[in-house]
Amino acid sequence: MGPTLRRLLPDLWAVLLAVLLLGPALGAGYLLTYDMVWVPDLAVRGDFLGLGPALPRAVPSDLVVALADEVVPGMLLQKAVLLGCLAAGGLGAARLAGPGLVARSVAVSVAVWSPFVVERLWIGHWPVLLCWAALPWLVLAGARFRDESRVGAALPLLLLVGSLSANAGVMSAAVLLAVAATRRRRPLATLLVLVGAANAPWVVAGLLHASGATSDSTGSVFALNGDGLPAPLAALTLGGIWNAQVVPGSRDVLALGIVATGLLAAAAAYGLRPAWRRLGARTCGALAGLWVAGYLLAVLTWLAPDAIGWLAAHVPGGGLLRDGARWLALCVPLVVVLVAAGCERLVRRLRIPGLRPVVAIGAVLAPLALLPGAAWGLLGTMAPADYPDDYAAARAALSERPDGDLLVLPFSGFRAPAWNHGRTVLDPLPRYLQPDYVVNDELAVDSLVLAGEDPRTPQVYAALALPTEVARSAALTRLGIAMVAREHGVPALPTQDAPLAGVVLHDGPDVEVVRLAGSVDVREPSAGWVAAVTVAWSAYAGLLVAAGWNTFRLRRSGIRSSARGR
Amino acid sequence: MQAFLITCVSLLVGGGLAGATIVGVVNNQTAAPSQSPGDSTNPSLVYGQTE
Repeated sequence: MGPTLRRLLPDLWAVLLAVLLLGPALGAGYLLTYDMVWVPDLAVRGDFLGLGPALPRAVPSDLVVALADEVVPGMLLQKAVLLGCLAAGGLGAARLAGPGLVARSVAVSVAVWSPFVVERLWIGHWPVLLCWAALPWLVLAGARFRDESRVGAALPLLLLVGSLSANAGVMSAAVLLAVAATRRRRPLATLLVLVGAANAPWVVAGLLHASGATSDSTGSVFALNGDGLPAPLAALTLGGIWNAQVVPGSRDVLALGIVATGLLAAAAAYGLRPAWRRLGARTCGALAGLWVAGYLLAVLTWLAPDAIGWLAAHVPGGGLLRDGARWLALCVPLVVVLVAAGCERLVRRLRIPGLRPVVAIGAVLAPLALLPGAAWGLLGTMAPADYPDDYAAARAALSERPDGDLLVLPFSGFRAPAWNHGRTVLDPLPRYLQPDYVVNDELAVDSLVLAGEDPRTPQVYAALALPTEVARSAALTRLGIAMVAREHGVPALPTQDAPLAGVVLHDGPDVEVVRLAGSVDVREPSAGWVAAVTVAWSAYAGLLVAAGWNTFRLRRSGIRSSARGR
Repeated sequence: MQAFLITCVSLLVGGGLAGATIVGVVNNQTAAPSQSPGDSTNPSLVYGQTE
């Protein structure tokens, strides 16, 4: 095998695995699953900046998508993000695993074909997946920064990509600081500025909502789950999401889980020495610290779910801790490095040369064989969907709209429409339309209903419970709601779908849009909030400018040095 | 002797991979439906189930 092919093979493997994992999701249409909602053209709106009354959970991801889909259509953007993220995560794992062909290929398989990726993909946590993809690259960039004290072009971009949600931002920051932090003041200050800028939008928006930044105490339902194994063992294999609905059935086979845990642990233990020698004590120590932090945070939600629920209910921001398996992303870099090194060492030690390709191929394919339910978009589950034409008509009807927010009825957060193959998804209609919106953010898990964080949710319920259409509409306009989009054919209680008084702007087969009767108390964010959010987003944009400037500078110096060479 | 050993190991590795894949796929296809049945008293969709 030629050196070029040896170099390219793991990269091609990463792309192939990404395609194999997404399968039908790459076809025409939108992949809409649980929290993953992409629309043709997400409109920029004030709430995406973090100025809405509800705790901003999708800052900065929503605004970044809303701006990006001005350049690339939403459907293509979603494919690019998902495929690019999975492939980039594999490529990063390969780079982190060192130069050996076996190590790099195994690293790709272990990183990409992991329960963590499959479960987060199914539940639609794409910002977490982007963070997962950025982490190996952040380790490499962080180690380079530690040695050279130069920011370069990649580091700011990686931080931006890896910090599109609160959890993701914390994990990206933790990885960078653990690997790159030094005692020298200036590089340390540079790192802190970079991390602060990348996380500024959600941190500032969160602080502005600090009084409501607590969650339902029954949030313990989000604790680490075992996927058929005892939860701490499942966490060792990078799996254990709380929601059993998004776990491939093959994870329930106890024997497969035990084999996967045993193989992973044995390979990791065998790879400890070569990995330590290659990466050095400083980087390996950082990766080990991150693994311990990620594993403990995950297992803690299983060991002490009520304590985590209490934290989420009483400490602003404590809710970040409750989805324990999310923190397993911190374990990925060390697992990848150790398992890859262990397999490479095993193959090299085989005395019979003919056995080496057999064992190497077995090691590369083992993660796929142990999680076959993930193949081809979870065996065809992740088929894309097309929005009903009526959604576009409803959007057009709102092109000239009154000031005020949009309420979506029936007043429930999730849908499973037939056009989305009956798959559960966060209602996509409010994102499809243009105005700021009010949705029910309560979560039904098992037989529990967890209270939402938007203070208007109980107020809307109270308004909808009033006896007459006129009274209901008037109460809603006092909450700043000017329009209502009512979806037809959605199962709902009468209190979630009460009739209202107003002017019908659009009445189609899927959606009716009504302008409410009465004068609207349009909500305006305070000047202080606007100023704080502006500063935060300026810092975030500054990071993008810094990445662009550094790219330009590096290119210019490269052109100059090559001209001098001639 | 070496050729015999290589054949045995190949069969073992290939058989193990194939066996695991078949067991996983069969279990995946025969598992109980992940969606909960409808609830007439509260038709709102559940976001997830822990069991």
